[in-house]
Amino acid sequence: MAVAWIGNRETLVERAAAHAAALLGSSRCPVFSLDTDIHGTRAAIALAERVGAAYDHADGAALSRETALFTDKGAMTVAPGETRRRADVVVIVGELPQIYHEFVGELAETVPDLSAKNQREFFLVGPNGASAPPLSNGRTGTLLSCGEASLGSTLAALRAQYRGRQTSQPVSNFDDFAKALAAARFPVFLFSGDATEGLALEMLQGLIADLNRTSRASGLHLPASENGWGSALASTWMTGFPLRTGFARGFPDFDPWRYDVARMIAAGEADLHLRISSSIVPPQKKRNRMALIALAKTQKPVAGAAVTIAIGEAGVDHEAVVYSSRTGSLRSVDARAASELPSAATIIRLVASHISAEVALPC
Amino acid sequence: MLTKIAGGDIIDPVNGRLGKGDLWIRDDMLVGAPAGASADRTIDAAGCIVMAGAIDIHSHIGGGNVNTARLLLPEQHAAHQARPAATPLSNAGWSTFQTGCLYAKMGFTTVVEPAMSPGAALHTHLELADIPIIDKATLAILGNDDFLLSMIRDDASSQMIEDYVAWTVASTRALGVKVINAGAAAAFKENVRTFSLDDVVPSYGVSSRKIVKTLQAAVDSLGVPHPLHVHCNNLGSPGSADTAASTMAAAEGLPLHLAHLQFYGYGTEGKRKFSSAAARLAELVNTTPEVTIDIGQVMFGQTVTISSDVMRQFSARGSASPKKSVIHDGDGNGGGIVPYNYGKDFYGTMQWAIGLELFLLIDDPWRVFFTTDHPNGAPFTTYPALFELLMSREARTEMTAGLSKSAMALSTLAAIDREYTFEEIAIMTRAAPAKLLGLTDRGHLGAGAIADIAIYRRCGNIAKMLGQAAYVFKDGDLVVQDGEITHYRWGKALRLNPSPDKAMVRRLEDYHQQRYGLSLDWFNFPDSAIAREQPFGEVACRT
Repeated sequence: MAVAWIGNRETLVERAAAHAAALLGSSRCPVFSLDTDIHGTRAAIALAERVGAAYDHADGAALSRETALFTDKGAMTVAPGETRRRADVVVIVGELPQIYHEFVGELAETVPDLSAKNQREFFLVGPNGASAPPLSNGRTGTLLSCGEASLGSTLAALRAQYRGRQTSQPVSNFDDFAKALAAARFPVFLFSGDATEGLALEMLQGLIADLNRTSRASGLHLPASENGWGSALASTWMTGFPLRTGFARGFPDFDPWRYDVARMIAAGEADLHLRISSSIVPPQKKRNRMALIALAKTQKPVAGAAVTIAIGEAGVDHEAVVYSSRTGSLRSVDARAASELPSAATIIRLVASHISAEVALPC
Repeated sequence: MLTKIAGGDIIDPVNGRLGKGDLWIRDDMLVGAPAGASADRTIDAAGCIVMAGAIDIHSHIGGGNVNTARLLLPEQHAAHQARPAATPLSNAGWSTFQTGCLYAKMGFTTVVEPAMSPGAALHTHLELADIPIIDKATLAILGNDDFLLSMIRDDASSQMIEDYVAWTVASTRALGVKVINAGAAAAFKENVRTFSLDDVVPSYGVSSRKIVKTLQAAVDSLGVPHPLHVHCNNLGSPGSADTAASTMAAAEGLPLHLAHLQFYGYGTEGKRKFSSAAARLAELVNTTPEVTIDIGQVMFGQTVTISSDVMRQFSARGSASPKKSVIHDGDGNGGGIVPYNYGKDFYGTMQWAIGLELFLLIDDPWRVFFTTDHPNGAPFTTYPALFELLMSREARTEMTAGLSKSAMALSTLAAIDREYTFEEIAIMTRAAPAKLLGLTDRGHLGAGAIADIAIYRRCGNIAKMLGQAAYVFKDGDLVVQDGEITHYRWGKALRLNPSPDKAMVRRLEDYHQQRYGLSLDWFNFPDSAIAREQPFGEVACRT
């Protein structure tokens, strides 16, 4: 089975890696987009420092909204295990990514064993017509909405009404919500940056802070991408900063606008794109003759890529460490269907080994 | 390879070596002077002080809460030297890589991260594994977790509790156990806002004292070398000296370590109802031989407080500077991140003076440990300045000149003449920590010890001397020369490895399945997950 290509020409992995290294070495503005496990991220960041690259998540916009909540505002959060065991009111804030529907269903099927109430009520914040993930037994969450108003506006109205202030448009079913809160011991708001604007995330935290003046409440962060959040954590311990960090000046420089890799590609700033993702991603529109190095789980060369090297999928082809939103921390996963395909980290280190340097990479 | 460190002033209290002499290293170990052998390499240590590598027993260097603090404060570590570094990522501010480099430059070779949430053990060890050069270790947090509180409530046998503690220590690869505001995080989830030693956790009917005593007994019985590491209740509150005193009294003859005592050195005298109780606490430490403490010294300037005492951090949110914080309700403790700027006002001066009073009034350097509770009292990068304050009364006097006079009037600091000697520094930062942690292979310079050695060139400026070692060896590898890192090497995380009881493992499997809907496999990890060669070093329990 072919595992490496230069252009459309099949080659040895070693040669493809050497060619990728040569492209990285001659690039004036390389950018990396990541959708990989922890060790893939670590290797990529070490390589980024070596070649002066900027790096971002493959879906950088959603992740950036989530990291901005922490870098700019702060938050009150709760672990998923505590949510399952303690949340007597669950408020689903906006649309959650599909991957969390199973967890929401699990919350609906269980009761909080550490709460005196031993039951859960569900609410959904969103515009009219918004639908929550399916709950069990035909249950539905009570909709809290301000007509067609945005999520941020609805949260603002909810917060204002909770504090007894006037709003131009009342939130639907607010009395039910207020009654549930009054009886609740530990309400939890489920949120994600996937489809929620940054200001809405901040407004939600304002509401949670208000609730904590007299009682308890918290928010469960369900990241738009588990790989993305894992990469953000690894980047933060390795460089001090989350993703959208660049090494153009020889040291880590965090700038969520400047190092938005999708923007850099669209604006023609980047001349080389290293894309690390086990899935195949359609090529992004670009203005210049930017070269693409694709590390992907593929049996054929990625269209338009100068170099393609096949990698395995973390937790499928090889064991890995990944972020798990089910535990709220990093988790070791075995290979479900172990194969010969190498990990992203292995290939990145191989590429790095072809870039001359006096000292070895630290990851 | 045979290395000779020639003609240095050797300070090795454990082996009674004080004075000019040579040291010999064969590969990674210290050896006696080999008869007739000639060194492959000789380090001229004339004019230098030679000590074992320093050991920090309490410094928040990695794990979920530390990383959240980094995430919260990009502006605090953006401005760093834009020069190429010979060692990758070591100029990345507040990164794991920089942490290892900065510690090594000061001659520290082992550092303990004292607050690992068991559920985040893999994350913590991954961060520690990216801290180069030094060895690391962690303490696993217990005492707010439902499993333990339920066992205590249900009068579980001491054997069962020991089995649980042993399983936690083994599965998280910890070197010891810490309890943080015992019971308070669980109580906070039920909207309790203050919590003292004899307060009871709602729903469990278990007091904070009972939790501490239960864990203290389990740790002792298991032969964990490090005594239970206690973060007391009421941290930072005026009158918290009473809590610390009660906790010390609760030791009742069994070893107990109280962390960052400075943060409990607060009385209620004066018009602000905030005064120094350091003399009282120091006297208690002096007369309670089973108790050890570390200080948690405050130094002035910007820092961030990182604590798994989520109740305390929640109450401190209003003092956040800059105004942002993270409060996390975890499966056990959770934690809080609150940035803070220690000013030279009344309160900052009071805290600064209390820490120094404790250092100087506790007589026995074997029982008082050198910490700033990094970064809670100050970043560990202030250690050189702190050494100078301890070793020079003149430096203290100079510093005091710019501080709050009303605070100093409530402190005994100005009347204390004591100056730490190099021998006392070597005990406090080398010999005593090794003894406290059960690390017989370090903290001294005798034959058979690992060759962790710090060599400082004497000069009139203590802070400069101890801040930039002339040479540092880690496991016999010369990693610092003239205050600069020469290269990376990868240290180990030191851990205990008690055998888990099979019945307890089955019970925990059932518990996780029923309560979390997850198998225990979700929380376990193999050593290979760390992706470093030999990521762990095993330390024996007492027999």
